[in-house]
Amino acid sequence: MSAILFYVLAVVALLGAAGVILAKSPMGSVISLLGTFFALAVIYLLAGFQFLAAAQILVYAGAILVLFLFVIMLLNLGAMGSRFELSFAPLQSGRARLAAAIAMALALIGLVAAQRASLKALAEPAADAPALDSLRGIALELFGRYSLPFQAVSVLLLATMVAVIVLAKRQRAGEHGSGEGAQ
Amino acid sequence: MNAQDLLKMFDGEALRALAPLMALTIGLLLVLLAGVFPLGRAVRSLLVVASLVVSGVLHANLLLGGKTPGTVLAGTFASTPTTAVWGVLFVLSTLFAWLYSVRYYEEDAPFKNEHDVLMLAAPIGMMLMAGARDLIVFFIGLELLSIPLYALAAFRRDRARSVEAGLKYFLLGAFAAGFFLYGSALVYSATGSLSLDMLSSESARAALATPMGLVGVALIAASVFFKVSVFPFHLWVPDVYEGAPTPVTALMATGTKAAGFAFLMSALVLLPVSTASTVALIAILTMAAGNFGALAQQDVKRMLAYSGIAHAGTLLLAVAGSIKDVPARDAAVQASLVYMAAYVATAAGAFGLLALLERDGSPTTLDSLKGLAQRRPYVAAALTLFMLSLGGIPATGGFLGKYLVFSVAVRSELTAFAIVGVLLSVVALGYYLRVIIAMYMQSPDANTVVGEPRPASGAATLASIVCAALVLATGVLPGWLLNLT
Repeated sequence: MSAILFYVLAVVALLGAAGVILAKSPMGSVISLLGTFFALAVIYLLAGFQFLAAAQILVYAGAILVLFLFVIMLLNLGAMGSRFELSFAPLQSGRARLAAAIAMALALIGLVAAQRASLKALAEPAADAPALDSLRGIALELFGRYSLPFQAVSVLLLATMVAVIVLAKRQRAGEHGSGEGAQ
Repeated sequence: MNAQDLLKMFDGEALRALAPLMALTIGLLLVLLAGVFPLGRAVRSLLVVASLVVSGVLHANLLLGGKTPGTVLAGTFASTPTTAVWGVLFVLSTLFAWLYSVRYYEEDAPFKNEHDVLMLAAPIGMMLMAGARDLIVFFIGLELLSIPLYALAAFRRDRARSVEAGLKYFLLGAFAAGFFLYGSALVYSATGSLSLDMLSSESARAALATPMGLVGVALIAASVFFKVSVFPFHLWVPDVYEGAPTPVTALMATGTKAAGFAFLMSALVLLPVSTASTVALIAILTMAAGNFGALAQQDVKRMLAYSGIAHAGTLLLAVAGSIKDVPARDAAVQASLVYMAAYVATAAGAFGLLALLERDGSPTTLDSLKGLAQRRPYVAAALTLFMLSLGGIPATGGFLGKYLVFSVAVRSELTAFAIVGVLLSVVALGYYLRVIIAMYMQSPDANTVVGEPRPASGAATLASIVCAALVLATGVLPGWLLNLT
């Protein structure tokens, strides 16, 4: 049962991912992305990671997607074409096809490798692997073994924020630049 | 792990290992805060220099002050004499890049404060990369280095070339980051761990040799090779290096490369011995791509970009040597440290002098360098020294590094590759000497654009003197550097 559910969800997640790229209207892309996020969240649930599933819904579907929607609405991009129309324009040029072919080949190699290793032969997580199915386990891992990456991420986010401001902030008239943000 | 272990984890040793990173982080926050108040440039410059110097001194203290903390924080970060030397190199490359940036931008250019914040963020990422004992820490370090550089490459938003450079670097870098994550996921599936120490166990090494493990390692290697500009992931380099503001290019060329190789040297456990010849072949191809590419360039900045590719190839030969011959690993680490030390001083100086010339209003083409020896004798002399060092002429730092790298390759029985490498280095002399010939033996044509010499800023003069002194010191008296490493 859960195996069937997993495959259905995996297909939904992949279709959503394809939809993000192929949808003609940005709104369609966002809605496809939402589908992918929800499918992933349920896959996490199936694997027994309740906290991760909840965080996925809250943070990605709840916060980040809403931010995307804000941007789209503020920039008035919502009106481009029908919401459910697909566009294959990204695959028109020969180079893009070549790139897509290479990417697919890489993914296939990965798949075949995984197949050859057969799912049974997948390594067991190391003996001291974290128990990520409880909040306590997550907290101990986050503030224990992963405390350095956890803290480094905060510096990373700060630096990213500054970088985004440098790139996107509208410069006042009379200063250098065209006044338009780098896209 | 329980709550008691948590308390024990944050002991004095962990603090000592992380202190250099903390110094930079605090400096970064202070610079960011200083932007809120009308404090002026002097305070900001003081904060930037102070935090870099403190971080460098803390690294030097780890190196000279007896025992280093070793692996701390539950095995995610290591602080060894090697990472301390890398740390000093990262600080130096950032310091040089920052000093050259002082009067590079227009007086009223916006976001100067943010520029300095981003410049301080990059070395934190480099230090995380060099000390990482866990692929997650490495990835965060990689991003902490890359994201500020994307923004800095596009810093001159009024110039199309700069924005183009930033966008190109960002798009390709995002792909490389994706490769890294996919590779890490495969490595985890194959071995059940992301910790480099666990990956070096016998069972993990066997699991890494399975197809899934190999694909994972190959993807991780591809992503790091992209960052250090190794063939066939080098195509972005000339455009990005040329378009980015020149002090930022200096940081990219020296810091990113040093951090990438620091990681490659510490993550060798990932690569099975059988990959040594492949890596050596990639190294030779990289050298060929860089050297022959550079021969065709008319723009010195582009030429130095190709030369950077060639240098990455040379250094990769040391990596290949240490994959093949495990006992030679210490020698290979030393060779890469010395090589990068010389390269940091040389390339930072060379790009910095180009930044000076750009400030004069001169383009960076070979034509505009003609007759530079008459117009700016000191700049021409320093640039000559840097070109000779890049070419690996004896009595400069570049020679010592090349010598050590090729001797590692020979010791690891990669002699054929070493010979081809040496021959390719001779090709390289062709374009380095062309710069010197243009400066000393040719005079500008009537229609060449040459700059109006303006007095250099004190910061840039200081940086040039220190770079030149380091290049000479490593070349003439190599003993101290060899002892340190």
